[in-house]
Amino acid sequence: SEKAQAAFQNTARASKRRDWTKLIYNSTASPESILGLDGGGESSSNAAGMDDDDFFTLKSSAPAKIEEELDRTKEPVNVEELAEWEDEELLDSIRHLFITGSSSA
Amino acid sequence: MTQAPTVLHFSGHQYLRHRLVLGILSGKPVRIDKIRSDDKNPGLRDYEISLLRLLERMTNGTVIEISVTGTAVLLKPGVIAGGNVVHDCPLTRSVGYFLEPIVMLAPFAKKPLQLTLRGITTDENDLSVDIIRTVTLPHLQLFGVSEGLELRIKKRGSPPLGGGEVQFLCPIVKQVKTLNFVDPGKIKRIRGISHAVRVNPQFSNRMIEASRSVLNRYIPDIYLYSDVYKGEESGKSPGYALSLLAESTTGAMHCSEAMSKPGVPPEDIAMVASRALLAEIRRGGCVDRQHQVLVLLMMILGSEDVGRCRMGEPTVRTIQFLRDVKEAFGTAFKIVPADPADANSTDLLYSCYGVGYVNANRSLA
Repeated sequence: SEKAQAAFQNTARASKRRDWTKLIYNSTASPESILGLDGGGESSSNAAGMDDDDFFTLKSSAPAKIEEELDRTKEPVNVEELAEWEDEELLDSIRHLFITGSSSA
Repeated sequence: MTQAPTVLHFSGHQYLRHRLVLGILSGKPVRIDKIRSDDKNPGLRDYEISLLRLLERMTNGTVIEISVTGTAVLLKPGVIAGGNVVHDCPLTRSVGYFLEPIVMLAPFAKKPLQLTLRGITTDENDLSVDIIRTVTLPHLQLFGVSEGLELRIKKRGSPPLGGGEVQFLCPIVKQVKTLNFVDPGKIKRIRGISHAVRVNPQFSNRMIEASRSVLNRYIPDIYLYSDVYKGEESGKSPGYALSLLAESTTGAMHCSEAMSKPGVPPEDIAMVASRALLAEIRRGGCVDRQHQVLVLLMMILGSEDVGRCRMGEPTVRTIQFLRDVKEAFGTAFKIVPADPADANSTDLLYSCYGVGYVNANRSLA
């Protein structure tokens, strides 16, 4: 678990300063997994780790998703996530981005 | 880049639009396979076929081949013709779905485009016509596409029945300007468009009032416009929506919008739009998240000089686009932290060397 903890701290730090050029152009990771948006990233490892001992391979019954992911530009709005803006402190925390706010925030 | 037209090869139904755009602009054939091949209902959807038809009509000499099962498509690009085009969009997607790729192509047409699109003008999935008019088109202006650029909203159309109509006018350019946009500035004003069709017109004002209750604390320069459409002009279905945009001292724009859902009062819709705008402003950068792809594409096409732009972290779509654009034009971006000294800043500086794309279709006047 020591290792795991170290790994976690590593990724936490890396998320602050990531080498985007490398992540985008020199890896085959899906965009979702680069941004940490897929639930564990099993889909890619699944396909790659397949043994080719068997002549017939069982097609993974992956398409359990009923609703298809639409090709859309507008990101779905997460109303629960937006609830954080009820907080006065958070509302004040972005004041410095407006001309009326002081630069020291 | 020097060999004969290599086929750009992609898989899956996602990102279809920017891939077709890249093929047409680069002049390379695009083959997309495995389109929902594992789906119970495989192949292209009606709106995708409709988009292909629209692209066919906007261009000259484009050949589109769709496999028997509909799970693969090959597009051999012709020249972008422009001119007068009328297209009825299916009710499965809004006109924004079609306008987004068209906006990327139209400046490079042979003749200025006058495109009339009919269908749904605002929905949950694609940029609404209000956002395209007030935010997307100004992003295009950054690259010198401006004189005569206009989107007219003739009729509004809410889902499910639509009935809206817009007219998109786009001038042609020889070449787009190199972008150098690294100062996000500070937000100086907020604008908004609130509309309500086939419901109580007061809904529009209620949204404006609720939105002001959140936004008024920041700046006094807030103007939220209640856009009234009556009778024929209001389409066939009831609906209401609020689109917001924040503009900075340097012209950086951030936008958000929310539209009516059954049983949700207009105040709540306005809250969602207002808070989403704040979240977008907090993300920083000079370019709105939903417009990253458009700006990056125009940067690639820019003259043979280094273009720079400060933006937030790339979205899922942006990452895929960066990979696809490298495939099509062989150009990669350099992406580095915008403020290496500031540990809290997630802003990034995107820079690239433009390919010097020249509009060869343009008829010399």
